[in-house]
Amino acid sequence: MSSLSIGGSQLDTSWFLLLSAVLFVLGAIGVLVRRNPLVILISIELMLNAANLTLVAFSRQLQNYEGQLFALMSMTVAAAEAVVGLAILVDIFRTRDVEDIDDLSELKG
Amino acid sequence: MAIAVFVIAAAMAVLGGIGVVTFHQPIRSVLSLVVVMLALSVLYLLLSAQFVFAVQIIVYAGAVMVLFLFVITLLGPARELGRGRLRFQSWLSALFVLALLGLMWAMLQGVQYRQPDKADLSIFGTVQWIAVYLFTNFLYPFELTSILLLVAAVGAIYLSRKRIDDL
Repeated sequence: MSSLSIGGSQLDTSWFLLLSAVLFVLGAIGVLVRRNPLVILISIELMLNAANLTLVAFSRQLQNYEGQLFALMSMTVAAAEAVVGLAILVDIFRTRDVEDIDDLSELKG
Repeated sequence: MAIAVFVIAAAMAVLGGIGVVTFHQPIRSVLSLVVVMLALSVLYLLLSAQFVFAVQIIVYAGAVMVLFLFVITLLGPARELGRGRLRFQSWLSALFVLALLGLMWAMLQGVQYRQPDKADLSIFGTVQWIAVYLFTNFLYPFELTSILLLVAAVGAIYLSRKRIDDL
């Protein structure tokens, strides 16, 4: 029942969900391990994309429009997040040279 | 055929994701993320989400990634130094992340799917079909996202302005 008939062949929805889980976990590793603030932002984008894949896969499985519309909304949120995050980063880099995210841990200007 | 497309796109996405995490230069991480997004857009097309496919390529692989590339060229190539202050950070995070993956895997084993709503699959995911719901059922969230984008634009301009005391 969980298989989708696409182009004559049977694809299982849980394959998409598993791929999305792997991508999300890779993004989480990036956020936890990497030290460059820019790469951390990139990893967050990866996690958002993984969540989008889940939404679209469930939308196809349930043949329901809400998943795709939620994916569009989350793309908007991701774009806004990237813009504001990068603006903050550029503002920080203008005043001092940050090579490590731990340099920003004291929240002082 | 569809299975082959899925396997190739999934392999590209996972390899790109590994590249995002492992490359030491940020520019390579960004280009790996572009690979991930293109592979995901193929998967969206496979899931008959045509409009999401187009938006993924135009907004994500186009606009957002170009933004990242601009910031990298602005800031210059920053290489990462060695490890940080926490000594066991990478091991601990690998452990937690593997636990998270195991949790999601266990959840996938017992997942039960609801009966489909039976939409007309010939128009499922097209621009027309998305627009009907976007401008009726989802009109309020749609307008809210426009406010969100306005706020983000104002915030970005405010943060990147030239300060008076810099002059």
